[in-house]
Amino acid sequence: MFEPFTDVIPSFFGWLNQGPLTLTIFLHTVIILPMIWIYFQEKKRIENEG
Amino acid sequence: MANRSVWSDNRFWQRSAAWVTGFAAILLIWLTFDTSMQISMGSDEDLKNGVTKRVPGPTVINYKITYEMDAKRGHEVPVIGEKELFFGRDDWSEEEAGALLHLGKLGSQAKNCMNCHTLLGNGAYYAPDLTKAWLDPAWGPEGSLQAMTGKPTKEEAMAEFLQHPSQYPTHERMMPNLGITAEEAKGLVAFLKHMSSIDTNGFPRNFGKIKGAVHGK
Repeated sequence: MFEPFTDVIPSFFGWLNQGPLTLTIFLHTVIILPMIWIYFQEKKRIENEG
Repeated sequence: MANRSVWSDNRFWQRSAAWVTGFAAILLIWLTFDTSMQISMGSDEDLKNGVTKRVPGPTVINYKITYEMDAKRGHEVPVIGEKELFFGRDDWSEEEAGALLHLGKLGSQAKNCMNCHTLLGNGAYYAPDLTKAWLDPAWGPEGSLQAMTGKPTKEEAMAEFLQHPSQYPTHERMMPNLGITAEEAKGLVAFLKHMSSIDTNGFPRNFGKIKGAVHGK
């Protein structure tokens, strides 16, 4: 799943491109985790309003 | 109202959309700057000191370029080797080489090479992909195209063909005579040689399958 970094010039985007799942895992982390956080914030707000 | 779901709440989706859009925008702006750094052209100093750049400086025309399989990266990469004569010289200065490449680039645009050929992924596939044309063994010392023109070197053979393409039947889809002058042809060959030295992450993918294109194959 994780391959050794082989790009000519190392960069963050090069790292994202190294394996089949690196981009997927990264995007799920940065999109889904904050959404879970937003979900619980909104849930709390609705409960308080209720 | 105790059973109101978060999933049907507008604010949850608004905030999620704002997060995804904002994050993607920042990522894309960053990617733009990262790319422009990755594709910035190297210099003569880099070539002399063996610094690897994706896009080498124009004086790369003074060096021999080969195409080698990189097992680690899983595709072929251009390798800049020892000095090599280009139109009888291996001491093209940065200014001279830059001017020649510039002439070649303008020539390729003026003659609209991309109308039939592909350059670095842009253009058509009516005629052969020119991205790695310089490395095509057909133009090499034992290649049929060099033999056809009767010229002693790769660059002279390519320049001769570019000036009189309709004299050399190469393909069912023959290249038309575009009125390329001797000086323009020289620039175009320099442009092609420089282009072949660009690390394109193995593009075009099938070029390495040409017999003799990759060293030792």
